[in-house]
Formats: sequence, structure tokens, C-alpha cells
Amino acid sequence: MNAPVLQAKDYKSDLKPIWCPGCGDFGVLQGLYRALSSIGRPPHEVAFISGIGCSSRIPGYTTAYGFNSVHGRSLPIAQGVKLANPELLVVVAGGDGDGFSIGGGHVPHAVRRNMDLTYLVMDNQVYGLTKGQLSPTSPRGLETVTSPLGSLEDPINPLLYMLAYGAGFVAQATPADMPGMTALIEEAIRYPGFSFVNIQSPCVTFGEDNQQLKAHKATMKTLASLGHDASNQLAALDLARSYGTELYTGVFYRNPNPPPTYEALVKLRQAEQARKARSRHQILEAYLQK
Amino acid sequence: MTSQTQTPGIDFAALTLKDAFDLAVLIEEEARDRYEELSAQLVLHRTPGAAAFFAKMVRIEELHRQQLLEERKKHFNDQPVAVRREMIFDVEAPDYDEARADMTTRQALEAALRSEEKAHRFFVSVLSHVQKPEVRRLFEELRDEEVEHQQLVKAELAKLPPDDRFARVDVSDGPAPQ
Repeated sequence: MNAPVLQAKDYKSDLKPIWCPGCGDFGVLQGLYRALSSIGRPPHEVAFISGIGCSSRIPGYTTAYGFNSVHGRSLPIAQGVKLANPELLVVVAGGDGDGFSIGGGHVPHAVRRNMDLTYLVMDNQVYGLTKGQLSPTSPRGLETVTSPLGSLEDPINPLLYMLAYGAGFVAQATPADMPGMTALIEEAIRYPGFSFVNIQSPCVTFGEDNQQLKAHKATMKTLASLGHDASNQLAALDLARSYGTELYTGVFYRNPNPPPTYEALVKLRQAEQARKARSRHQILEAYLQK
Repeated sequence: MTSQTQTPGIDFAALTLKDAFDLAVLIEEEARDRYEELSAQLVLHRTPGAAAFFAKMVRIEELHRQQLLEERKKHFNDQPVAVRREMIFDVEAPDYDEARADMTTRQALEAALRSEEKAHRFFVSVLSHVQKPEVRRLFEELRDEEVEHQQLVKAELAKLPPDDRFARVDVSDGPAPQ
């Protein structure tokens, strides 16, 4: 039991969260602090990038670098940050609306580019910040201010989305299981490539009763208890289909042979080009021969 | 959550008295900090009664922490602490889910009672793994204290008038779309 250099509180800023009391995001934030302390990277080596929404306020609540950016644009900005400074540990945080509606077009490209980023989506199935409209993950039939007679649409399935796009690490968690969620966030951050954790983080103000943490505690099932092999992508796809009906937590898929990241390939390309680069003298010679 | 998942990485069979004291201090510290957070949330959301009660719990948990620290110092002076706050998850701290904007003082006390009951279950559960007699004695004491704390909260609850039949949510306007 050796004391680490950094504690969870070292990542906590002085700014007090203004989320509604009971919001699932409080637990997620606490889990993030703990995961970071376990990883041990100091705050100045970490950057949080977010879009717009309740959960997108996370960068302000940490002592790490942060950018509470533009709605739906957290992933492109995070990729720019990572490419500019590949040594930074970059965590992207946001909600289901920010990620799968406004920013939905950016997701497949971020996944296929495979930068070493961790994308945490706090999926509460509703637009909470703007007072309870339908979001892309709202269940069919949900009555909201924009669907007073109930939604006629099926929700997007974030887990299937990510698996189909080819993400190397796909997991789901809930703050109803703090130790499990913290361990998953840590595992996602440690994965060498694009990693995604869908965190079922209930909205206490506009969310349904059966989506609250007490309900999660009663209904959640860990994938480990089902004997799921996280290296089996097809089994992961099959289990992910139950999004919205079953609350499975754990790692759906972890690529056992992670491919090189985009930034690693860029580095290789730069080295190749540097080897091929001609001297000023060679360039001048070639010009004069013409 | 079970006692095992609440304290990942702690082997209670091998736990020393010093580590047990430090663990108990951290449990009180975690509860103190959580009550402080919940109190701040409720101040922000204009729920003064429940906020004041949670602030009172901050002082109580801090008092318990200080008492345990003094005991620890008597036995082990300034020997370094080996257990970490990151090793415990919500042992006596109320879950974040316990707070609600507009919660009544009674609901706040009920949340505290559930937290004391949770802590009691924790000590009952870990006692089945503890092997060292001196650690067992400490944890039995802490387990019994949790029962006392429950009685104190229940006594406070008995003094409170019943909550209104109507919650504020029943008489206020619903959220409006933007």
C-alpha cells in the first residue's frame, strides 16, 4: 500500500458544480478524479475538452487544462489538441445530445482516425440544460416538452454506433456503481487509442424514474457476470443491441491488438519525410539542371 | 455495493490496527466532504433547511474524525499513513443521489439515517473477514457507534413536524421549454 504522489482532490478545482442536486454527473466527476489519481498524470499533463450541455461543464471542475468549446465540436477540437501536443492525456466529455445529435457527424471520423483520446458520454436520454427536450437517445414514447404525446422515434444506440464505426474500446458504466465506473474510466484512459465509455448518468430533473440511480442499482448487470469475452467483437455487437432495455456495465469490446494511433502514424510519416528531405544545395542543383 | 466493492484493494484479513484506524479516519473524512458538497449544492438551489442539516453533519463527521485521529495518535504517533482515500467508496458518505433541490429537512435526516445504516452494514460485513483481535475490537466499536448515530438521527426525526402533504413540485409551475 504505497501512497501515490497525486490524490483525487488534486484534480478538483475550486469551482463548485452547479448541477441539480442528485445529478448523476456528480458521481462521474468523482470517478474521473479518482481514475486520474490512479493513472498518476499530473493535472498539467491532462486536457479536458467538452462541447455544450450540463456534462460539458466538467472541464471547469478540474485543475487540468480545459476547453468548454462549441456545441457538438468537442471531438474535432480534442483531435487538434492531441495532434498539436501528443504527450497530453486528452479526455473528451459531453452529453448524448452534444455527441450524437449536434456532433454526430464527427463521431465516425474521430473513431476511424483512432487518436489516443477517451470519449466519455454522459447519456441521460434528454436535453437537460435546455429544460427537457427529446434527445437522440430518448426512448420511444418519452413525453417531453417537445413530445407532449410521446416520442415517435427510436433512440440512437451509442454502443452499436461505436462498435460499428470500429472503436477499439467500448464500455458502459453508471455512477450507481462508483467503483466499477471508476475502474472503467481508468481502463478507457489507459487504452492506447480511441476509447469510448457510455455513462448512464441520470437527469434528476427531467429524467424518467426508471432511469435514476436507484433503478440502475436494482437493474444493472455486469458483463463480467455474464461471462462476456471483451475481445469478441461479434458478441459485443450482440450484447450492445440490448441498449435501452438492459443496463449492462463493463467492457463490451477491447481490441486485443490495438492498431497504431493516428498520432503515431503522423510521427512515422514525419520521420520518413525527414529522411527523404533534400538539402538546400540539392534543391538548388535540381533547379539549375532544369 | 458490498463491503468488498466499497473498499477495493483492502485485505481485511491482513489489516493492521494502524491501517484500520486510518481507514476509519478516511471513512469519516469522506462522509464529511460529501455532506459539505451536498450542503453547498442545496445552498445554491435555495433549499436552506436541508442545507443547514447537512452542514451540521459536516461538523459531526469532522468531530468523529478528530476523535479517531487522537486515538490513532495515541497508538501510533506520527507513523505514515498507508491507506488512501481512493481505496474507499461511499462507506458512510451519503450517495450523491440522496440530494434533491427542494428536499425537506425531514428528507435530509432520512438520507443521513440511510447513510448511517449503510455504514453499519459495512462494519458488520467486514467483521466477518477481520482476523486480528485488536482490529476486530475497533471495528466492533465503530459498528456499535453507527447504531448510536442512527438512534440520534431517529430522535431528531421524531422532533420534526410532519412534512407538508404537498411537495413544492406539486404547487409550482413545471419546467418551460426554451
